[in-house]
Amino acid sequence: MNEEEVKQESNFSFNDYWPSVGIVGAIFSLISFVVGLFFGYQQINSEPTGSFFSPIMISGVVVCLVTSVAGLLAVWHFTREVSPKLKLGQGAVIGFLTGAVIVVISVILNELWIMLVDPEYTEKIMQSTIANIEAMDMPESAKDDMIDAMAESMEASQSFFRQLFWGIPVTGLLNLITGLLGVKFFAEKEETF
Amino acid sequence: MKHKLLYFVMLLALFGLVLVSLGGGLWGAEKSIGHWTGNLFRGVCHQMPDRSFMFNDVQMAVNSRCFGVFLGLLSGWILIPAAIYLIKQKTWVLWFLFLAVIVQIIDYSGNLLQLWENTNSSRAVLGWLFGLAAALTLFDQFQTNNKTESS
Repeated sequence: MNEEEVKQESNFSFNDYWPSVGIVGAIFSLISFVVGLFFGYQQINSEPTGSFFSPIMISGVVVCLVTSVAGLLAVWHFTREVSPKLKLGQGAVIGFLTGAVIVVISVILNELWIMLVDPEYTEKIMQSTIANIEAMDMPESAKDDMIDAMAESMEASQSFFRQLFWGIPVTGLLNLITGLLGVKFFAEKEETF
Repeated sequence: MKHKLLYFVMLLALFGLVLVSLGGGLWGAEKSIGHWTGNLFRGVCHQMPDRSFMFNDVQMAVNSRCFGVFLGLLSGWILIPAAIYLIKQKTWVLWFLFLAVIVQIIDYSGNLLQLWENTNSSRAVLGWLFGLAAALTLFDQFQTNNKTESS
């Protein structure tokens, strides 16, 4: 392969990124949606134990971890399916876009679930979580703070576009970092001259 | 050092991440949850008040472990230029990252199984180690080819 071909191979357009970004983003948003629902309904159907490690709390940790590694896997997919040579900045773009896709699809799936399947899902989650907090062994003021925080947090995420606006930057940045790690682990090293 | 633009853009982004994660206290708000700083991290952090540090008497926008991770990422990123010249063995950072991940898993599992109870400080320190290791793992990506060859 001559130098011209290598250069051409390294200059990718967005169309080259989208298959990896779309596939990995869609898979991971589906996983996070299903995991969120699983733990969500576990929370709704469980008796309040007063334990800090409620299903919804575990769900938050699992979803965060799962969605953060998507950038890494999107870069892995790209190196397998499109080109093994990838610059660091290109890995960053793939990672960020993957994070953005995860947020968009997750929000759409959640909205569809609430609209078509269970309109009272958010309300039930809130009531169940409040019941669990009230059963916790801690001062009343701390309980009130937690309940207020949770209620405000849920209110803040009601609008579809607000969820995207608040969700994309941080999820995108975290996936950008794992995208950079993906370049380190999976991309072919640049040749030294 | 190569990829200087990416390095400085990321440095700025990570600095912003840490700054915003300090929460509403930095911006004169009475709380972080419901504030724009809290909204930004809602999808990635449980933001439980008793698991978060306070800043200016206001709960931070993220819990102590997330704050530790973000601070570690920034610390590691700042150290990358030094690491390029100081770290000779690339495998060292990979082992560091591996150990940081294992320690996180052990700490979280032990607390979950009620073998011990971790504190905000211990969670922040372990999170910081993980963030530091993740950022430092990337140091060789910023090495110029000559340096890569010689190491």
